[in-house]
Amino acid sequence: MRHPLQGEYRVKMYADRRLAYTYLFPAVILVLVFIYYPAVLNIFYSLYRWSAFSEKKIYVGMHYYNRLFKDPVFYVALKNNALYAVISLVFQVGFGLIIAAILEEKFMRKFQAFFRTVYFSPAVISLTVVGLLWQLIYNSNIGIVNAFLKLIGLGNYAQDWLGSSKTAIFAVIAVSQWQYTGYIMILFLVAIQKIPYELYEAAMIDGANRLQMFFNVTVPQVKEMILVCTTITIIGAFKVFDEVYVMTAGGPGRSSEVLATYLYRSAFRNDEMGYAAAIAFVIFVITFVLSFLQIKLFRTGADA
Amino acid sequence: MMFKKIFSLIVIAVLLASIITGCGQKGNNAQTDENSQKNAGEQVVLKFLHKWPQPQNMEYFEQIVKEFEEKHPNIKIEMEAVADEPIKDKLRIVMGSDDQPDVFFSWSGEFARKFVRVGSVLDITDAFNSDSEWNNSIMKAGIEPFTFDGKVYGMPFRINGKFFVYNTDLFERYNLKKPQTWQDFMDICETLKKAGITPIALGNQFPWAACHYLTTFNQKLVPQDVRMKDYNPKTGEFTHPGYVKALEYLKLLKDKGYFNDGVNSTSHDMAHQLFYAGKAGMIYVELEEFAQVEENMSGRWDFFAMPAIPEGEGNQKFLTGAPDGFMISAKTKHPQEAIEFLKFLVSKESAEKLVKTLGWPSPVIGAVNETNAPKFLVEGMKALESAEGMALWLDTDVHIKVAETYLAGLQELLNGSKSPEDIMKEVRQTAKTVQSEVD
Repeated sequence: MRHPLQGEYRVKMYADRRLAYTYLFPAVILVLVFIYYPAVLNIFYSLYRWSAFSEKKIYVGMHYYNRLFKDPVFYVALKNNALYAVISLVFQVGFGLIIAAILEEKFMRKFQAFFRTVYFSPAVISLTVVGLLWQLIYNSNIGIVNAFLKLIGLGNYAQDWLGSSKTAIFAVIAVSQWQYTGYIMILFLVAIQKIPYELYEAAMIDGANRLQMFFNVTVPQVKEMILVCTTITIIGAFKVFDEVYVMTAGGPGRSSEVLATYLYRSAFRNDEMGYAAAIAFVIFVITFVLSFLQIKLFRTGADA
Repeated sequence: MMFKKIFSLIVIAVLLASIITGCGQKGNNAQTDENSQKNAGEQVVLKFLHKWPQPQNMEYFEQIVKEFEEKHPNIKIEMEAVADEPIKDKLRIVMGSDDQPDVFFSWSGEFARKFVRVGSVLDITDAFNSDSEWNNSIMKAGIEPFTFDGKVYGMPFRINGKFFVYNTDLFERYNLKKPQTWQDFMDICETLKKAGITPIALGNQFPWAACHYLTTFNQKLVPQDVRMKDYNPKTGEFTHPGYVKALEYLKLLKDKGYFNDGVNSTSHDMAHQLFYAGKAGMIYVELEEFAQVEENMSGRWDFFAMPAIPEGEGNQKFLTGAPDGFMISAKTKHPQEAIEFLKFLVSKESAEKLVKTLGWPSPVIGAVNETNAPKFLVEGMKALESAEGMALWLDTDVHIKVAETYLAGLQELLNGSKSPEDIMKEVRQTAKTVQSEVD
């Protein structure tokens, strides 16, 4: 294909490295100043004992890291983040893909617009509103979850969803699934719509049934999208804050604490900015390693 | 080609022009501002941060600020309000920045003290002591929790006590009377429970609610001097058996089924609703909430303080409650004006208005009286004044790390997942760490 620009211009423009760097410069500066510099500074801060409102910093070395790995709350938070990641993978990526595939089936096409809107709409509601809404839904005195369970004769299972240490984190995770499965589904819908129809035709001629077509045509064809979706859900699961903070604030006790809420609590309630910085560094390492692994495992770009 | 060039030149010219004129206008505005400032003498801007953003409360503060600005045309107040929970975080952040509010809300006790310790709060002792009119107008019980090492750092704005409010209709129906003893209190709970009514509404989603119970129990069960020593971050040990007992009393109320279901997921507001709906017989509230109770119950309620606990080693005539108020930042550029504003906030005139419009209890002597305050508030204030001392809110009176250990523990206690002894073990551990870190 001929480049839209005439040869002479093109060469000049691409040869002029200075020009290229000039254009890149503002973005690089922004990233350096607002992302890399604070990230490095954060490591430095994690070595000191200090609070947000005091100017005094006391050097404590690796003390906070030692403490962190002995801190039971840290493991509770880590476990909750892991639960968040696993459950989100199953529901958002797994079910999201299945729902998208079903909506793309011929017999569902007519209703697709309707279901798309229904499934997607929770994703556009503000997190705080969602949190308050579900607090009422889960409420043990007036909430509809318990009322419904009693109605269908499962009153024994009715409980204080957000107020009990055993169920609180699952109740919060469930809300996230409700909110974001539709979002991931839309991403898959777009990916599935891009699959050439000939592939399905060929599969049909070969006598494949619907299930075989799903696993042998749809899934491999949307592999790139699966990678994108798993990456954003897993990283999202380790960065999750608002949902937990609004609905339980880490409680009851510390049972629904996640890394981000624990970080926040350490920084702005317990006045331990150094400890918070240490937690932040651990979150950074975890998300970095996870996304690195994912990209390596899927060898992105190679199969697309 | 030519046209293109001319066109782009025009576009650039227009853009430049708009930028220049835009800036120019701004400059003009600034100039007129300056002019008006010159006319009014030197203009001073004070930043004011408080914790009542609710529209009905903001109205009061807007009025007070307006009145102050009318009296002091050279001072402008920039007001900001952040709600109860978020201000606990917000204050910690802004106090470390260069953008500190000049006059800011604070709870009394340790909450204020941690800012004092790092030198963020202006010492107003001289100003306060040299002005005898100001000095004599405020209750000593209000000043004391803002006094550290003999120096005054803040002014009380409200003075608060914690009382059980009860539904008189329900009490009459089951022939119940105000309890005189702890046993009476337990009997009332039992009777209500048997009648199918939740005896006490408790919303412990934010665990300060249960912490207020514990404030009272700790005070009643632990000798005063021991408790004071333990609440001081430098000497806290929490080894007295009264602390475990205090938690056991709270656990007892829960285990006997005297609280509503799902306390840890119920908010304090929702607990209020349960009480107003007649589903609960009692609720433990602050004096400042009396106005709200009256609005919803109109006369069909009364109150009593937590009855004495016979085995308790603390002073049984204490009351749970504390003043909260305002402090001035040590970094303020206008200490004179800030003190002037603080004085105005706690002047008798403003305090009377506070009592009248919001029904909040004021520590300004004589501000709550028969002519401007409803009967329940006057009675509540009397109860406060006759108390032999006050137990400040536990969660603002101990070091924040100890408080956080307690707060998380209380939710676990009410869920039955931790025992009183377990919680105290953690508290002792935290207190030990705090001892080594506080200087």
